[in-house]
Amino acid sequence: MTANGVSGSRTASQALPERLAGHVFLACTVIAGLAAAAVVAILARGSAHFFSRVAPARLLTDPSWTPLAEDPQFGILPLVAATGQIVVGAALVAFPLGLLTAIYLQYYASERTGSVLNAAVTVLAAVPAVVYGYVALNFLTPALREIWPGIAAFNGLSACLAVGVMILPTVTLLSRSALSSVPHALIDAGIALGATRARILTRVAIPAASGGIAASMALAIARAAGETMIVTLAAGNRVPLSWNPLEGLRTLTAFLAQTGMGDVPPGTFEHHAFVTVASLLFLGTYAVHAAARRLESRP
Amino acid sequence: MRTPPRPRDRLALASRLAATLTFAAAAALIGVLLFHARGVFDPGFLLGAPSRFAAQAGVGPAIAGTLWLALLTAALSFPIGVGTAVYFEEYAPPNRVVLLLESVVTNMAGVPPVVFGVAGLALFVQGLRLGPTILAGGLTLAMLALPTVVVASRTALRQVPRGVRSAAYGLGATRWQVIRRQVLPAAAPGIVTGLTLALTRATGAAAPLIVIGAAAFVSHAPGSPDDTLTALPAQVFSWSTRSQPDFAALAAGAAVALLLVILLLNLAARILRRLLAGGLQ
Repeated sequence: MTANGVSGSRTASQALPERLAGHVFLACTVIAGLAAAAVVAILARGSAHFFSRVAPARLLTDPSWTPLAEDPQFGILPLVAATGQIVVGAALVAFPLGLLTAIYLQYYASERTGSVLNAAVTVLAAVPAVVYGYVALNFLTPALREIWPGIAAFNGLSACLAVGVMILPTVTLLSRSALSSVPHALIDAGIALGATRARILTRVAIPAASGGIAASMALAIARAAGETMIVTLAAGNRVPLSWNPLEGLRTLTAFLAQTGMGDVPPGTFEHHAFVTVASLLFLGTYAVHAAARRLESRP
Repeated sequence: MRTPPRPRDRLALASRLAATLTFAAAAALIGVLLFHARGVFDPGFLLGAPSRFAAQAGVGPAIAGTLWLALLTAALSFPIGVGTAVYFEEYAPPNRVVLLLESVVTNMAGVPPVVFGVAGLALFVQGLRLGPTILAGGLTLAMLALPTVVVASRTALRQVPRGVRSAAYGLGATRWQVIRRQVLPAAAPGIVTGLTLALTRATGAAAPLIVIGAAAFVSHAPGSPDDTLTALPAQVFSWSTRSQPDFAALAAGAAVALLLVILLLNLAARILRRLLAGGLQ
């Protein structure tokens, strides 16, 4: 009876913080969920207004994106194609450089070069996009002009190079972590069979880590597609789509940055068009990110 | 695997070349910034206010704005994000609602910063009528940082061995006791690493601030969250868009100041992580 009483009072005194903690953590989760829902709701509402005025098919059939012109055009494909050019150009830089740097860090580097190289990758990861944009505009483009004197002041090439270097750490760090989680037994088996190091890497380690490597590349693509400051500063805002990397271009994100600047009046058609572009970018990057997570957890 | 590479190992050559290029890119990036900023970076620049005249311009208000934004972002996103991570890892029942919520919050980490700017403009600047203020910027950046905080904290919590929890439960500890006395202390250094990453990203983000309307000319350092939004990343952007070479140098100076702020944040986090890791022994 006394023993029961004692343990009963202990449970009562513990119950409050115990239950409170559970409720507080649940409340945090609800707030995080509401924040995500608020973003989605804003995007959905603006897009719904937009598509109540514009037939969705016009996004694909109109020749250009000039929602505020006298004779408005709503073709989103030129913006998507420009974003695609940046993604492909950046991937050409970041995929080989990033993966090979990861291989070097994981399998070849001595401890000292490894730590120096790691510091360099950390620096690349910590530098904000707008700083890359500055360097692309004020250093890369003038340097490229030495090679191609006709290059435009705003051009896709320097933006691609800068975005490529910016997403390089994503590829390097995540690919390296995928390589480092390849079971040692697999590599030992290769060594026991007398395979050379290059052969073990290309035939055993890299295939075994391919899920994580592919995920790192997908995440890098999502970051490149969403990159705003580099493309706005270095690639400019050229409306007619060009496939020449020496000329400027206008991506989805550059449109957002140029139109945004804080003074899109709420409730106007301009605002709905603006939010619709953000929605498309959201859907694209969200899908790529979800695909990357699926690749990552692939057995 | 640490034997010297054989001369015909082409992968070794290629990876060495790639590593050299990566290192060169980092060195060139920092080198270019320091070189371009060499003429402007002095105490007057760090304390002064932006000006139409390049020679008198400074980044004092922008530094103060960035510190305000970092503070607000951390105060809002850290507790909510870590709390969410604890809920997902330690409490959540594996039902459909939780799984959906989990996947949405996680995938928000892949949404570009500029989209958060579009949402922040509609929600805070226009919806709550905050206008382009420090508070609106802090709320927007907190939304941007939150998914990263959740994902990184969950990773850190998951790395605490199951055995730690089982042992504590076996000794009769309640769930909250297990979390507070065992799991959180063990995960703390990893959580701090994740928080640092999220804060570094948010502090350097220019796109959301540009979209919600950061001002390029603010003559007084913001003293409260109601003051006009100004921040180093937005200052780098607005000076970069001016064509005069004097302003390019100012942009480089502001970029160096931004990198210094980020470096200081990371150093503080490193010290905190050491203390937390040491406290366990």
